[in-house]
Amino acid sequence: MHEVGVITSILHTVEDIMKDENLTTVETIVLDVGELSGVVPHFMEECFPAATYKTRFENTKLEMNVIPGNVRCDSCGEEFNAYACDLKCPKCGEDKKHTPLTGRELIIKEIRGN
Amino acid sequence: MVKIIEVKESVFKNNDERADKLRDELKQSKTFLLNLMSSPGSGKTTTLLRTCEQLKDKLKIGIMEADIDSSVDAQTMSDAGVKTIQLHTGGMCHLDAEMTRQGIEELGTDDVDLAILENVGNLVCPAEFDTGAIKNVCILSICEGHDKPLKYPLIFETCDALIINKIDVAPYFNFDMDKVREYALMRNPDIKIFPISAITGEGVDTWCNWLEKEVKGFIC
Repeated sequence: MHEVGVITSILHTVEDIMKDENLTTVETIVLDVGELSGVVPHFMEECFPAATYKTRFENTKLEMNVIPGNVRCDSCGEEFNAYACDLKCPKCGEDKKHTPLTGRELIIKEIRGN
Repeated sequence: MVKIIEVKESVFKNNDERADKLRDELKQSKTFLLNLMSSPGSGKTTTLLRTCEQLKDKLKIGIMEADIDSSVDAQTMSDAGVKTIQLHTGGMCHLDAEMTRQGIEELGTDDVDLAILENVGNLVCPAEFDTGAIKNVCILSICEGHDKPLKYPLIFETCDALIINKIDVAPYFNFDMDKVREYALMRNPDIKIFPISAITGEGVDTWCNWLEKEVKGFIC
């Protein structure tokens, strides 16, 4: 449900870009999706056909680059992937206080069309 | 010939622009919009009833109840004599700026100083979509646990104030008030925290004083 709302928002933004760039069709939408953005790429893929069914984006492809969710431990300064380490610092074990470094992105990187 | 356009724009750009536009319109019509978010069952409607009771002689209030379905909340507010409309999101788990603008249009701004949007009960999606509100507030109830700011960081980052509701039942739960403050302030050092009980009325004064001051600062 959450991903459908995000896709709808993406399509509104893409429509604005189509107007600016004089595009009539969009073949591909490329997104940067951070692991800490709250969006699950698998669900985006699952929802995309439903969200675009019988719209001008019905034949548009969705591509996603997953950006790793890296954080810095506030206790010891260790940098690690929050996902791979299950939100626990591999060096000191701190499991609550971390500062996100990368992975919060939810960006339309490029669109390809004509 | 396929054209490749480098966009590098937030997925939410279109919504963010609409939200900014709505904020401008609200400024002109002198209507303060509050976006109230929380998980289901935290006491949003009861808190609203208390808030309206306290502020009804000082401010003209209008409520927008957003739900996936039903109009039980709108009925509760209407029965209490508060101007209320029901918004149905049609299955969506949040409101966006356009849906909020339509709600504001239906509610009308002529006789409303304070419009309150009771967002869909959910700690994830509503935090991502700027509704155009002037202030965002989140309610967390004692029964949900003090670790929520760690589990749902975004909503605590986006909110200006956090209401901790149901403090009357605190003796029966292992809820640590110091820890919830620490975790919420870690996410957002500027967040205002108001422990209340919407049932007994404890703490509601302090919350309503803050809200009244914010509204008057905006509309005057």
